[in-house]
Amino acid sequence: MPSNEGWLDRFVDGLPSNPLFMFLARRVLVPYWAWRTPVTPQPGGPRVSIQPGDNVQCMMNLIMPLKDKSPIGRANAAMAISQYKDEIYAGLDNVGTVHFARFVIVDDNICMFSVYDGDFTNYIRDFITTIGSVFNAVVELVEEGEAVIPCEQNVEAFIEWVHARDMYQVPDLATDILKDQKGDKAGSSPDDLRKLPREVVLQLRANPNVSLGGGYRAYPGYSAAQVRQKFGVGW
Amino acid sequence: MSTAFDHADVQGNILRGYRQRRVRHLVLEIADRTAARRWLAATVSDNGDGVPQITREGRERWTTKPDTCFNIGLTFEGLAKLGTPSISLDMFPKEFVEGMNASAIKLGDVGSSAPENWPAPFNEPKRIHLVASIYASEIAQLDRVQHQALGDGKALKLLGACDGWISRDNHVHFGYRDNIAQPRFAEIHGPEDHADGQPRAPLGTVLLGYPTNFEGLTWRVPERVGHNGSFNAFRVLAQDVAGFEAYLTETATYLLTHPDVDELLPPGAEANIGEGLSRHAALREVVAAKMCGRWRSGAPLALSPDKPTHNVTANNFDYVGEDASRCPYGAHIRRSNPRGGQIVQRVANHSRRLVRRGMPYGPDYDPTRPDTKERGLLGNFLGANISAQFEAMTYDWINLGLQDPRVTGSNDPLLGANDPATSWFDLPLKSGTTIRLRGLPRFVTTRGGAYTFLPSLSAIRFLGALQN
Amino acid sequence: MGNSSVAKQLVDAIISDFPDHEPGTRPVHTIGVGVEGYFVASEVARTYCIAEHFNGERIRASVRFSNGSGSPVQHDGRSDVRGMATRFHLKNDAATDLIAMTLSEFFVRTVEEFLDFTKASLPKPVQKESPWRKLLDMLQLKLPLPDPMPGQTMGADAGMLDYANRHAFAQLGISQAATIGAPTSYARASYHAVHTFIVTAPDGTRRPVRFSWQPVAGVHVTGPNEPPRDNYLQQELRERLRQWPARFMLMMTIGEAGDALDDPTRPWSDRRVRVVMGTLTLTKVAADQAAASEHISFNPCRLLPGIEVSGDPILQARRDAYEVSRELRHATACPFNRS
Repeated sequence: MPSNEGWLDRFVDGLPSNPLFMFLARRVLVPYWAWRTPVTPQPGGPRVSIQPGDNVQCMMNLIMPLKDKSPIGRANAAMAISQYKDEIYAGLDNVGTVHFARFVIVDDNICMFSVYDGDFTNYIRDFITTIGSVFNAVVELVEEGEAVIPCEQNVEAFIEWVHARDMYQVPDLATDILKDQKGDKAGSSPDDLRKLPREVVLQLRANPNVSLGGGYRAYPGYSAAQVRQKFGVGW
Repeated sequence: MSTAFDHADVQGNILRGYRQRRVRHLVLEIADRTAARRWLAATVSDNGDGVPQITREGRERWTTKPDTCFNIGLTFEGLAKLGTPSISLDMFPKEFVEGMNASAIKLGDVGSSAPENWPAPFNEPKRIHLVASIYASEIAQLDRVQHQALGDGKALKLLGACDGWISRDNHVHFGYRDNIAQPRFAEIHGPEDHADGQPRAPLGTVLLGYPTNFEGLTWRVPERVGHNGSFNAFRVLAQDVAGFEAYLTETATYLLTHPDVDELLPPGAEANIGEGLSRHAALREVVAAKMCGRWRSGAPLALSPDKPTHNVTANNFDYVGEDASRCPYGAHIRRSNPRGGQIVQRVANHSRRLVRRGMPYGPDYDPTRPDTKERGLLGNFLGANISAQFEAMTYDWINLGLQDPRVTGSNDPLLGANDPATSWFDLPLKSGTTIRLRGLPRFVTTRGGAYTFLPSLSAIRFLGALQN
Repeated sequence: MGNSSVAKQLVDAIISDFPDHEPGTRPVHTIGVGVEGYFVASEVARTYCIAEHFNGERIRASVRFSNGSGSPVQHDGRSDVRGMATRFHLKNDAATDLIAMTLSEFFVRTVEEFLDFTKASLPKPVQKESPWRKLLDMLQLKLPLPDPMPGQTMGADAGMLDYANRHAFAQLGISQAATIGAPTSYARASYHAVHTFIVTAPDGTRRPVRFSWQPVAGVHVTGPNEPPRDNYLQQELRERLRQWPARFMLMMTIGEAGDALDDPTRPWSDRRVRVVMGTLTLTKVAADQAAASEHISFNPCRLLPGIEVSGDPILQARRDAYEVSRELRHATACPFNRS
């Protein structure tokens, strides 16, 4: 075997970890393919389904960039939440469909991660009714938040705004990403499976913040009220 | 923002029902924008040029009912086709803009009910611009008004028509008396009129521009066309009467030998259910009542748990502090309107109420001569916000059952998207045990529909006067 | 048996995918090892299924782990699906089998599709892709074709990939099979029965379910950059079981209306109710491997009152296909339980 072919083989096999190639991939290849084969950002939240198991323990992963990207800004956000703790708890109890919810500050973002039952719009709308004042206080600190507060008077717009900041949930099965991108059109011809890595890279470029899959559940298939009822603590 | 309420600005049949015997819904496409605008202007002009006049609400219930009534609803495509200014169009809510087809999964319109299976004219939703509804007591009257409405055909093209009629006193094809409970409004009903154990509904339950059932929340009112308007989910719902009666029969057979059946129907109580009924026939009626929440006569289980004695239009009850052996927590009327009863989404009590203006369609079903003709209900479900009321109720109350952990995972026995392999319905008994019924098939199939906006008279005037 | 010609076709089609197949051996999952152990159902298992092995007693179990390939040449370290076939021994010589593999779905939905698939998977000559070709793929951010294993001259990967690209339903199974790798131990992999069964509860409720074995020790695959070893799994198992037993949890997922019941190419969402049905404890590698690994014959349709097959056409076809294969290799028959 000619020696230069062996050398080329080894070189090409080593490319994925070659820093120069990685730089080329990041700066040139990805933007090129993003332009050539554009990929639309996917909407956030779980897919609509009518099956009972798919409608309990739904994940919301909300990322809201703060206007004031400094420790003071973060402190303001933290205080807004702690000041309203009673309201938040009363609201969560009375919405009735929330399993878990927490506010988290990551870098310059105030995030809310929650597990809830049922439809996203009903959940947010019921929240607006009970803890609208908390939302107003928090969203005021968030980029592009003024457009939708006071949320009680901008209900539809506020729901859309929250939905737009809920992370895309990358499907558990990699091949389903291709389906999402096609929009689930029945009868469309399947893609070349070897393009899957590129489609994943481009999708994560369009949706930089994603939830990987729907998440693990220790006791899937049960609503918050069912859990409370079965454990005898009232619902 | 809630101004003094002008009844005459609101279309009729929203706040008060007409109680006419017949209806015809004309599904229309706008053929020519200018002609359509002229047509709209003519419907509210009081001189008409032969075009039927929009019936409006009145301060008092009318003393003499008019022969015919006429009302219109516009889809988003219709509003756009008319050239409604985009500043107004942009303020309409997303579910209305995307249309009922886009909400198919949310509404349980899957499988046989999926929009792909809808017949004309509902198979081309983008062409549906306007639904004009004619109410009358005779077919000849419907024909006459239709003829007047279509005129020379320049403005509007007829895509299809749906006729409904009430043949027996307010009974629907499943045999129940319908149309008993509707929201009462302070601007219309006195405090003791039709007392129903529920608070009177704020106008914002069904009209845009007023305080809503949600404390502190108001819906966006589209510029110039929104105020005093309402949204309607128009649904053509086919009812499988043969399947329903067959299910009652096979369930009654199953129950006859069930160990707990005597609790459900004490031996000897058959005569209470109906004269001369066998135990099997009486059980059928008991099951039918439990599935609906009312006996077929209309008497509510909450007031008449053991026999249909109560005044059939009795409506003054609530589900508070009573035990579920009276009205099962999964019964249709309770699932769709839990009143003050305990529900998971505590803030939502009374918030998803709807005004219902439906009428049966199709020939009466004769059990001695069973047939497979299509029959059902032409449903109109009115509210000020489709997503907050109709969709919310359908998605997680009618189906899924999230409002009560004891029904979560099951669908409405009459209306739900049931699959006989997995469906179930519980009959709670006084002693605390439950009989679980299984194998409920899907009794109601969606055959078409559209989300329409019912503009106020001034909005119609505005649309009729558009010039561009 | 009425379907034996279809079954024979299936068996022949599978064998054709492994040109060096030895007559008298299984058409796939040829190389394996028999293990002994016992199964104890959880306290809730019998509320979902009346079948005898869920009654809570200690049930003797025979398990055969295997490599998916139908070739007689052992290559433990190559990327390959693994199998775990379990027989639950019951009173009066009755038995029920549960056959599972490390792939959570199958490639095809029907017998016709399976025959097409086996044709597409006929091994073809493989050679390393030219580096220019690989470079072109990388510039397109595409996966280059994997290099053949050292010494491999024929391969089915290209054919399977081509089949997947033409049939959307096969994409998941084939892409997962291509990247499945090799476990470090038979006891450190998850095995899935894939097909839907219908279980009957004491009150008569019937539920569509799917079974999976979850290793208590956890899943562990060999690193992708390690050079593959040809023969280590059986020895590893012997040594492991000498030290301590290997345990698997039997997980049963309950399907809902709208789930793909009869379609084995679609795994179920993990948002379905998941029931722990019991624990399998493996104690030692069987002394008589001829009986425990070669002559034994499992059948996915060897069931009991309380478990039935669903309408899955592949599951139903497997019943006769396994019988034909058993006859061809003169393995021991286990009479089907008369109910």
